[in-house]
Amino acid sequence: MFRRRLTGVLAAGVATAAMLAGCGGDAADGPVTLKVLTWEPGGSEYWQQVKTSFEASHQNIKLDLQSVPFDKYPEVQGPYITSQSGPDVMANNAGLELFDRRGAYVPLGDRAAEINKDLVTYSGACEGFDTSKDCFGVPFSYQGNVMYFNKDVLRGAGLDPENPPVTWDEFGAACEAIKNSGKTCLALGLSGTFPAYWDFPEIARNYLTEDDIRGLLAGTLSWKDPKLVQVLEKLAEITTKGWTNKNAPSITMLPDGADIFQRGDAGFAGTIISDAVNWEAFGKALGDDKLGVTRWPVINQSAPLAGKFSGIEGAVYGVTKWSEKKEAGLEFITWLAGKDNGELWVKHAKSQPLNKNVDPALLPSSPAFKKIQEFVAEPTLHAGVMLSGPEADALARGWQQITLGQLTVDKWADQMQQALERSPTKKQGN
Amino acid sequence: MSISTASAADSAVATNPPPPVRRNRRPLHAREWWLGALLVLPGMALAVTFKLVPLIRGVITSFESSSGFGDSSFAGWDNFTRMFDDPVVLASFRNALLVVATLPVWIVLPLVLSVLIHQRAPGWKFFRAVYFVPYTIAPIVVGIMFRQILSPDGPINALLRAVGLEPLAIEWLNGQNSALFSLVAVALWSFFGLGVMTYLAGLATIPEEVLEAAYLDGAGFWRRLFSVVVPMLRPTVAYWSVLCASGVLIWLFPLIYALTQGGPGNATMLPEYLVFLTTFQFLDRGYGSAIGIALFVFVAVLSIFSVRHMFKEGTRKPR
Repeated sequence: MFRRRLTGVLAAGVATAAMLAGCGGDAADGPVTLKVLTWEPGGSEYWQQVKTSFEASHQNIKLDLQSVPFDKYPEVQGPYITSQSGPDVMANNAGLELFDRRGAYVPLGDRAAEINKDLVTYSGACEGFDTSKDCFGVPFSYQGNVMYFNKDVLRGAGLDPENPPVTWDEFGAACEAIKNSGKTCLALGLSGTFPAYWDFPEIARNYLTEDDIRGLLAGTLSWKDPKLVQVLEKLAEITTKGWTNKNAPSITMLPDGADIFQRGDAGFAGTIISDAVNWEAFGKALGDDKLGVTRWPVINQSAPLAGKFSGIEGAVYGVTKWSEKKEAGLEFITWLAGKDNGELWVKHAKSQPLNKNVDPALLPSSPAFKKIQEFVAEPTLHAGVMLSGPEADALARGWQQITLGQLTVDKWADQMQQALERSPTKKQGN
Repeated sequence: MSISTASAADSAVATNPPPPVRRNRRPLHAREWWLGALLVLPGMALAVTFKLVPLIRGVITSFESSSGFGDSSFAGWDNFTRMFDDPVVLASFRNALLVVATLPVWIVLPLVLSVLIHQRAPGWKFFRAVYFVPYTIAPIVVGIMFRQILSPDGPINALLRAVGLEPLAIEWLNGQNSALFSLVAVALWSFFGLGVMTYLAGLATIPEEVLEAAYLDGAGFWRRLFSVVVPMLRPTVAYWSVLCASGVLIWLFPLIYALTQGGPGNATMLPEYLVFLTTFQFLDRGYGSAIGIALFVFVAVLSIFSVRHMFKEGTRKPR
């Protein structure tokens, strides 16, 4: 009997040891190769630097980067997740996109705070934007929306480019002046979700509190709520008042809408500060001296979040649950959150870092970038990433229809509510 | 003429031959059967692995409820009943019916053009090549190209304005109805060359003398088309009809993706694009599969009549 028990204990011990070796005991026999699935935010040059620098400082870990275009990424990632196989490290955008796929990642537990200690924020990588709950990965970039402007176009319309419009009314007046000068006021492309997703939080900050935004995330704030209906009304005004290019409903924001701005044919462009298009791309196209940046015009001066910056972490990298190289994966994502990578990010991707210790001397000297530093200093929650897939889609489609005169704001609110009720991630009682 | 030298008795035996000796033929028959099975087996294995298994997997997934790519649970008929209350799903199937309504154009236009080419109308060699060229362009490229061509300030509207047809210069891809029919027109432009080629292959099987005889009898173009060509080309027409009936509902994805993304609103939303959106953007795998299965049934019902007709035509004994 004792022998049988001993055999059983030994067998269990061997099995546990084998499992632990499989789970985390990597790098025992030479360098470990980590497979990383990425859409290369910041560009391929930056990722080449990531590989070179990380491998130089970690002789026992090699990186095998599988790069997929951003718009194809979910299609490639989905089968990996459903088959519970593939990369050791993967990325997802902070917010609901990550929450939807969190089942693929190892929760970081207490190590989250330790790994992310030098980051400005990392709540977008955590459940419910709450760092006391499970966090699933590590961000290294900072994302959000601003209004870029072309100083020459403003000047040509008789406006002072050093004092861009601050309020909604001033913006409307500026648009009339720019339109009269023969240019488009706001470059926009409504085919696809980007503008709806980017512009919504900038209006929403004028009506919602942080609690409301959390309600939006939880799915408890109805789209019939007067505050959200007002947000939709103001969003509709952008196109119905004729502030944008007429072909907005049939073109995309990236690249079509951004191209209008980069060609010098529009006064303003509401886009982002990192990744796909940013101050650097616009600065290259127009010249840094001609590029200005400002907050979105304020609608309600008294709203508590009106003067804030809707900030959100960029891509979040986490270690996959099925990886047999979890320790090496953790090592890599810890390095991603560090100062060295933050400096690479600024130097090669020319984007907004999230690490507080990045050498200020490395930060770009562009006036637009310096202005962005002022905005990001006063952050609040980004309402755009609180939208589920069906809501973001319905927001974009509704805005198209409003622009074409095919829909009323009330009907739009109805459609948004229906989309909320269709959202699998926001089903009440889940 | 041959003269029989056999006796009457022999002759009787000859007219009533004894039943074949099965014992001798069975091994040959079995060998043929096994050889046939062996040849069919790889095709069967591929069909089962890549058609039947994914279909069954799709059916199973359609009965599951999942959030994101996490674990799923059994949902019963929920995903299917949900479709009846979902305005986007209903809009997509309504659009699918409108697309199906354009089928006569898909079937008749290439037929007329192929007959013109077949009877060597002026420039037939040039047109034979030109009609087929769009089919060789990747649909995603076609979509990007036509997004420019059909834009409000694009070349089509510029041309219409230049020739004084300003009222016809509409927003092709932005109208509630014009968007869907513009999309179908682009798809037709892209695919009808394949139909012309298919019909030309069928026309090659019709004896020249038949058409010549009809011509000599004074039959005009349309008379020859409907009284001679169509009846003789029935199997080809049926084949092309089946291909189009299913194709118009499952070929359009890249064009929707590049041209309209289902918009404006849901004006160009078709079930196949909705399956993609629901599964990969909304991460609602079970519901996406249910919409996919509904589309499968829709296409199957649509195709089954033509397939049945084709089978009848194919198995009809010559008179």
